[in-house]
Amino acid sequence: MKFLTTNFLKCSVKGCDNSNLNFPLRYVRENCQLEQDESIEFNPEFLLRIIDRVDWQAVVSVASDLGNTELPPNKPEFEENLTDEDMVILRDLHTLLIQTNIVEGQMQCKNCEHIYYIKNSIPNLLLPPHLA
Amino acid sequence: MLATPYVSYDYNKVYEPSEDSFLLLDALEADLSWLNNRFNDAVPLTIEIGSGSGIVSTFLMQNGIPNANGLYLATDLNPWALDATLDTCSKNGCKNSHFDVLQTDLTSSIRENEVDLLVFNPPYVPAETVPELPHSNHAVRDDEWLFLALDGGDDGMVVTQRLLNGLDRILSCNGVAYILFCARNKPETVASKMKFSGWKSELVIHRKAGWEVLSVYKFYRN
Repeated sequence: MKFLTTNFLKCSVKGCDNSNLNFPLRYVRENCQLEQDESIEFNPEFLLRIIDRVDWQAVVSVASDLGNTELPPNKPEFEENLTDEDMVILRDLHTLLIQTNIVEGQMQCKNCEHIYYIKNSIPNLLLPPHLA
Repeated sequence: MLATPYVSYDYNKVYEPSEDSFLLLDALEADLSWLNNRFNDAVPLTIEIGSGSGIVSTFLMQNGIPNANGLYLATDLNPWALDATLDTCSKNGCKNSHFDVLQTDLTSSIRENEVDLLVFNPPYVPAETVPELPHSNHAVRDDEWLFLALDGGDDGMVVTQRLLNGLDRILSCNGVAYILFCARNKPETVASKMKFSGWKSELVIHRKAGWEVLSVYKFYRN
C-alpha cells in the first residue's frame, strides 16, 4: 500500500465516523515494513496536484508515525515558476508519497483502538462480526 | 472501440467477467468525454467496489478514465479477488503507479466525500439472503467466496441499497457513481427514488443479455 493511500483510509467502525479521531489511522512503526519503488518516475506537475489534494495534517501525522519528522507543519506552497529549492521539496515528497510502500504493517484507530493489518502490501479493513 | 483487458484466473474463487462486466465497460467508454470534461484538471479519486477479476479497474486505468492523472483504489471482500485484480492489472501491462487494492466492505474505510468516480457491479441476483463472509481465506469450499459476488438478498438490492443510502457521504461534491442493475432490481424505481432525494439519476446504457436485461445508471448531484 502506497503512503499516499493512507490519506484516504479511515477506521471502518461506523460509530467512529462521529469522532474526528478515525482519520488518519495510527501506523505502528515497529511493526511496519517499508519498501521504496524507485521505478516510479518523478512528475512534478502531477505531484503539485497531489499536494493540493491531500490532507496535509494527515501526511505529517503518518510520516511521523513511520519515523519521518522532517515535514513542515503547514502545506508547502509553490509559485508558478518552480525554483531549484522547490524541486528538492517536490522530489522528497515524491519519494515519500508515491515511492514509499507499506508492505507489512499495523494501523490502529485513534478512537476505538481497533488494529488493522497490512499483509503483502494489501490492507485488510474488514471488521470482525461483533464490530461490523 | 477500446480494447477489453485480458483476464485469466481461477473462476471458482473469483467472478468471471461476463455480460454485466462488459456492459459496465461499454457504459464507461460511452461516457469517456463526459468524464474527461467533468474532471478536467483535477486528480480524481476513482474507487471500484467489488473489483473481482479486476477487468473494470484495469480498463479505467489503461484508458485514462476519468483522466490521465487519476488515483485508483479497488476494493473487494474476497481476498482472491484482490489478488486477481493485481494479476489482471499486471498481465495487461497496466503501468498506473497510483493504484492500490483494499480488503474492505463497500467504502466503509474510505474517508468521507473524497470519491470522484465510483464504479460498482454489485451482487444483484435476488436471493433469500446476502451470504455471510467465509471465516478464512481458504473457505471450506472455494465457491463460498463466489456467492458473495452474486447474491444480493431481497430484489437483489440489499447491498446496492446500502451503498445508495450512504452515497451522500461517499461522493465528493462533483462525484459520480456508475452502478449496474438487472431488471429484477427494479432500476427505474430505484432511479426515481434517488431523484426524489435530490440526485440526478440517468440511464447510461442497457442491453438484453440472454433472459436478463441489464442496465447501468449514473448518479450525481444536481
